[in-house]
This record gives sequence, structure tokens and C-alpha cells, in this order.
Amino acid sequence: MAATEASTAAGLAGPQLTGEDTARSLDRSRVHDARRQSKRWRLLWLLVGPGILAMLGENDGPSMIAYASDGAQYGLGFFVPFIPLLFAMAYVCQEMCMRIGAVTHRGYGELVLQRVGPVWGWFAAGDLTLTNLVTLVAEFVSIRVGLAYFHLGAGVAVALGLVLVVFTLSGGRYWRWERIVLGMALFNGLFLLAAILVKPDVGAVARSFDFSPFPGGSFNTLLLLLASTIGATVTPWMIFFQQSASADKGMTPHDIKHGRYDTAVGAVLAAVFGIGALIAGAALLTHGGSGIQGFAGAGFPEALRHVAGGAAGAVFALGLIEAGAVAILTISASTAYAAGECVGVSHSFNSSPRSAALFYAANIGVALLAATVILIPGAPLLSIALNANVLATVLLPVSLVFMVMLANDRGLMGAWANKRSTNAIGITVIAFVGLCGAAYGIDSFLQAIHLIGS
Amino acid sequence: MKAEAPLIDDARRSPPIQEQDLQPQERFEDELIMDLERDQFVVETSRPVPRAVLSAPATAGLWMLRVFVVIVSLMVIYTFIDQLH
Repeated sequence: MAATEASTAAGLAGPQLTGEDTARSLDRSRVHDARRQSKRWRLLWLLVGPGILAMLGENDGPSMIAYASDGAQYGLGFFVPFIPLLFAMAYVCQEMCMRIGAVTHRGYGELVLQRVGPVWGWFAAGDLTLTNLVTLVAEFVSIRVGLAYFHLGAGVAVALGLVLVVFTLSGGRYWRWERIVLGMALFNGLFLLAAILVKPDVGAVARSFDFSPFPGGSFNTLLLLLASTIGATVTPWMIFFQQSASADKGMTPHDIKHGRYDTAVGAVLAAVFGIGALIAGAALLTHGGSGIQGFAGAGFPEALRHVAGGAAGAVFALGLIEAGAVAILTISASTAYAAGECVGVSHSFNSSPRSAALFYAANIGVALLAATVILIPGAPLLSIALNANVLATVLLPVSLVFMVMLANDRGLMGAWANKRSTNAIGITVIAFVGLCGAAYGIDSFLQAIHLIGS
Repeated sequence: MKAEAPLIDDARRSPPIQEQDLQPQERFEDELIMDLERDQFVVETSRPVPRAVLSAPATAGLWMLRVFVVIVSLMVIYTFIDQLH
């Protein structure tokens, strides 16, 4: 690690600073100034970031396609209230990550590795790498689908994604990276604009909050949609990302209240924009839209153009490009954090590429690897997008179990350990996610080997 | 019997270092150090946390969950590949 030896001399001398410390302490000095001067909005502005990025980063291409698929196949009922419920679950999980990061100043990967054991740490990193790689492929797919609306090819999608990764990494500061990605993430609101442009029946949207009608269709399709919708809301990368980013940002227990605001704002924005994608997708149902797979060739933007006009299609396409681009940045970052933490080398945006070579290489390398996959002609775009979420849902319970274990670890968390009520909600979330993921996985498999009918 | 004066007293007797005695770089670093909590320094976070002792039932439960998740993941991957054909 780039750490230098601490000076043990008493008195004035403290630990010798690394470049990472210097960058982080500059950010912290602004937080302290805002706190001393009681500038509440300034303090909030300085401390928001990881929560909003995790939540809006998860409103990625596959997620928005999953929400739009829900709307196109089942309409507004059930899923409109289901999405906020899922983001409430996501808030519970992400708040724990933020709290652990702020209290321990360490990422999820390194804590699992050191506290529970290397086998479990490497398993967690392996799960993350697998799901991140598949999800990153799906992110490039969503950029490609969005760009296809403007008659631009896969090569542009690859170049755009990779240039963004390199550009955001170029500053050598966490703050710079966070603010650029945060600015981009706000364009997730394009899905809300798309929903407005399809001119939905506002009364029907309001009435759909009673969870009815419950989706019909085959049991397996319903399980697929449930699992992919859950996977569109809570995923392993979010856990790694928010904990590591909170530590990298330099958050401390004093900042936990603002970290909760940050996470809650992110959850609300993500739920609203997710419902926007659902409403936009539902326009295809009311105009005689076909099944999920029917959209795979033309893509949602093109389908929307036919039923709601060119503006709605263009906005949805731009939304998919934004969603994919932001997720490429956050998911690559979570992979890089995990790689650095598990290998035990420097893993911070505040470190220079020379002192955190693995971190930077993993960040760019995983995006590069995923980018090459979408250049393969004839790839099943929507299938990859939906299955990326399902795979994330299936692997999620293990990550959640370790997260709850860490949040309950009084040796690490002290007074900031979970309360009983948080544990009850956390365990319920794990059980729900585990059941939905397993039910889909088992049911689909039994159908695939023709043990049961569809 | 009178105890020998502790070493720390010698340090206290020495004239205090005034802020103007510090070089600009040292003063800058001191200010930065004050903005970070001690356990936030890279040198501190690079020290591993001690390993927790898991009970046998907890370890068994984790292994069961791990095996279950791997099996279901393989099912999902098989189904995905099967659907492609």
C-alpha cells in the first residue's frame, strides 16, 4: 500500500501524510468549515454523493428496460407501488453500507476478507466480478440501443463508455469523480420526461397504488419480472460501492445523518425515475404492445416513437444512454474498489495512478472487457439485460448476509451497530430477495430440462 | 521514597514550539492532519482488523447459503444459455 510509516513521536508530529490523505483532508476541511459556520445547505452539498450515485447508478440500462418491460407487459398496476417498496428496501441496505463505511473507513470487500476470512472475501469479490461483468455488458447494450435510435452503431457506444471512464479517472481526486458522475446521474430524470411525453392517464397512475391488478400471465414470466425488478433495485455492486465510496469520501460517524439524507434522496429520485420508465413502457401496452421479447430487435425507444411520437422515443433513448453511461462508471468503480481491497493495495480515487495501479487498471479493464462483448454481432440484447438483473438477485443474499453481520459487529461498529428493528427489516429483505431469486432460478431450470411445463 | 520524574516532564519543560517556528509545509500538513480523524489515515486503514470468531452453526449456515446460491446461479446460467438456442 502507498502508506508511509507513522511517526510515533508525541506532540506536534502526527502520521506522515500520503497523497491520498492530503486530498481527503482537503475535502474534510471544507466539511469542517461548513459545520463550524453552520452552513447547513453547504454541508449537505458537500456530503451528498455516494447514496445518490448508488441509487441512480442502479437505475441503469437493464433496470430501466426491466421497468419498461413490466409496464409494457402488465401495465401500471402492481409495479407502480412495488418500485417504491423496493427502493425502501434498498434504502435499508444502503444505509447500513454507508454507516459501516463512515464508522470503519474501510470498504465492504476488505472488511469481509479481514473480519470473516479470506475465503469469504474472495467469494464476495468473485460474485461481484461476475455480476458486474454481465451487468456492464448490459450497460453497453443499453447505450447501444439508445444510440441506435440516432442511427449510431456499437462502435460509438464502446468509445463513449470507455472515454467516459478514462475522463472521470483523469483527475486523481474522489471529489472530482463524484461530482462529474453526480451531474450526469441527474439526467436519469429523462425517464420522468419520457413518462410525461407519453401523456399517461394521471388518474390511472394514482389508482395503481393499491397494488392491483396483480400481474397475470405465466408463473415463470411473473417470477422473471419480479426477480429482474428486484435486481433492478438492490445489487451486490451497490453494497461494495456505497461503503467504499463513503470511506473514500472521508465520511465519519459525524456525517451519518447527512449520509442518510443522501441515501434517502437517492432512493426517492430513483423510485420516481423508475416509475417514469414504467409509465413510458406502459404506453406500449395500451397501444397493443407485444410481449417482452418482441421489443428486443427494435428496442423500446423505437417502439415508443411509433406509439407516442418522436420526442418520447428520443428522450427514452437519451435516458438509456445516460443510464448506461452512469452505471458503467459506478460499476467499474465498485469492481476497482473490490480488487484493491481484496489484494490489499491502494484503492482510492484520491491516489495517483502510479500508487494505485491495480485500482485504475481494474476500473478501465473491466469496462474494456465488457465493451468488447457488445461488438459481437447478433447478441441477444434484451435477454442479457434481464438476466443480468436476475443473476444479481440470485447472488445478492450472500452479500446482504455479510453486510448485516458487519453492521451488527460491535467490535467494529460500537454504538453505531444495528438496532433490532433494522435487523428485522434487513432479514426480511434478505428472505424476500432470496426467495424470489431462487424461485425463478429453480422454476426456469425445471422448465429448461422439461421437468415441468411453462 | 521519591519516584524519578517521568520523561514526559522533560518534554513539558522544554520551550513550546511556536507556530511561526514551523516551516510552511509543516504548518500545512498539521492543518490537514487536524481535518482527518486518526483512524482515517491510510497508515491506519491499511492495518487489518482482527478476525472475528464465528460459531460452528454460523459457519455451517454460511456454507449452506453459499452452496445454495452457487447451485441456483448455475441454474440461471444454464437457463439463459438454453434460451439462446
